[in-house]
Amino acid sequence: MTVPIDQHLEEGKKDVTFRVFRFNPQVDSKSYFDDYTIPVERGITVLRSLNYIKEHIDASVSFRAFCQAGICGSCGMRINGLSKLACTTQVWDVLAKSREQGIIKVEPLRNLPLVKDLIVDMDPLVDKMKHYSNWIDSTMSEASMGKKEFLISEEEFLRYDKATDCILCASCVSECSILRANKEYVSPAVLLKSYRMNVDIRDAIHDQRLAELVKDHGVWDCTHCYRCQESCVKSIPIMDAIHGIREDAIESRGVKDTSGAKHAEAFMSDIEKKGKLVEATLPIRTNGVVWTLQNLLPMAVKMIMKRRTPPPPPLVKSAKGIKIFREMFREMTEHVKQDHKSHKK
Amino acid sequence: MKRYAYYLSCINESMTKEVDRSIDLWQKDLGIELVKLHEGTCCGGSNLDYVSPKHFALVNGRNIALAEKLGLDLIVSCNTCLMTIRSAKKKLDETPALKKEVNEILKKEGLEYRGTSEVRHLLWVLVDDVGLDTIRQKVKVPLKNYRIAPFYGCHILRPSTVLGHDNPLDPTSLDQLIEALGGQTIPYKHKNRCCGFHTLLVAEQESLNVAAEALQEAIQAKADFIVTPCPLCHTSLDGYQAKALKHAGVETSIPVFHISEMIGLALGYSPKQLGIKRHIVS
Repeated sequence: MTVPIDQHLEEGKKDVTFRVFRFNPQVDSKSYFDDYTIPVERGITVLRSLNYIKEHIDASVSFRAFCQAGICGSCGMRINGLSKLACTTQVWDVLAKSREQGIIKVEPLRNLPLVKDLIVDMDPLVDKMKHYSNWIDSTMSEASMGKKEFLISEEEFLRYDKATDCILCASCVSECSILRANKEYVSPAVLLKSYRMNVDIRDAIHDQRLAELVKDHGVWDCTHCYRCQESCVKSIPIMDAIHGIREDAIESRGVKDTSGAKHAEAFMSDIEKKGKLVEATLPIRTNGVVWTLQNLLPMAVKMIMKRRTPPPPPLVKSAKGIKIFREMFREMTEHVKQDHKSHKK
Repeated sequence: MKRYAYYLSCINESMTKEVDRSIDLWQKDLGIELVKLHEGTCCGGSNLDYVSPKHFALVNGRNIALAEKLGLDLIVSCNTCLMTIRSAKKKLDETPALKKEVNEILKKEGLEYRGTSEVRHLLWVLVDDVGLDTIRQKVKVPLKNYRIAPFYGCHILRPSTVLGHDNPLDPTSLDQLIEALGGQTIPYKHKNRCCGFHTLLVAEQESLNVAAEALQEAIQAKADFIVTPCPLCHTSLDGYQAKALKHAGVETSIPVFHISEMIGLALGYSPKQLGIKRHIVS
């Protein structure tokens, strides 16, 4: 059966309400939402809808946008609660999952200072990129520049290929759990860039950058929630980069360097010894006796009263068959040593 | 009776013993039998993977191989163990050279990682295999007077490329379980957020802020309790609750239950039998 053309149009068009976050610090004492209801055809993006609202209904609605093609990263905003690009987000796709039928809520990114309406201040992010030297400081001498080529093998390129897809839209920044808890935190986008620079063989300041990354508010403060990776508009495995920096930190700076490294290494040594984590001494091995007494003593008392304390090391039962497990574990250690040797060659 | 291999998580053998204790009480009631893998070892707790990727593959390839030897799926009741072991499985399945290297070593113990056993969370087994209808029929004490905040935690949802059971933006399995037990779920924005556990010893204040936010939302929504499928989230939200809320200037408290305890209550077991008195917040 053929459907009349006008019915097609009818099905392809909907009245959609955009509930837009509004705040003008020069006028408003607090933020509010304005509702704009407009007809939207299938295939229209959130950004085009916002442009329509600005052109036809309310010119004061402010947002940042440029390329309209998912390349420049300017139009990051929260659409029905999730940070993403307005220019690559289809209105009908959002509507299909909307809690409130026919309504799309549009809010500014989180974890960055608000400028006006949907515009956030990107300067704190740029400042962090400067702080963590998110650029290549070339190993090539000034005199050779422009005269010589820097040849990169495919294998070397693949190390940072995915990381270079980042367009700094700050969606990951907006979704980060730790940044929400402390704005000083380095942030996932900066960790990704730092990783990208640190694995580039043309770069000369790897050690200096890494030294900064392992300090407070740096790479060890990530709590592995994977929200950054899940919200990345370019599907970059950001956690691989964060883990990459940690692996590098342990390899080039040693396991006793920071509390984060000590904490991570404890898993490795416990598994080798017992096959089980020895939780009772984990705080001491991570932060020392003084920190543990100061920070965990009141809780430890409560835990003892509830018989909830982890057993002391001698009472942690090894996994069944630990002897052969240990042999296998150590055999793998030999493999890893061999890998490192051939890698250095 | 459907059989599964059961992975023993380190935390459930030390701080949160009530998890395995309560599962042991009701597993037969729901027609499942969990065979405990006493030879299994610590998964590395989402740390071993970057300390030594190869040991990570060996250790978890072995954990899965133990289940494969029994011809059973591997069931896990800790989110981070789940994510970690599933990550290792993905790596082994996608990297034949690594699988070969791991299997060369596993030969010593007469084990082989083949990739035939699935690695699944207990919550998924309850919803998908046992089924919500069966659970509904077995309920003796419906949780009908309770308003419950479902806290999924991160590593049962993200990364979705490794987990893939629930939509990480709008998970439903725990809500379904609560409803099958007769409880009422409350709208809870923190349901798919983080508990802060993994940085409690490294960035304590940040972790406590993260936990406090999740607790405050549940308190403000007048939930009777929070329930979580992860013993690590439980430790952060229950064990560290007083510290987190004190810093946030909140004076009330809220109980936090494991899914295994919530099921036990609905099946008619007492709080004492289920080990609920072991919680820090009562």
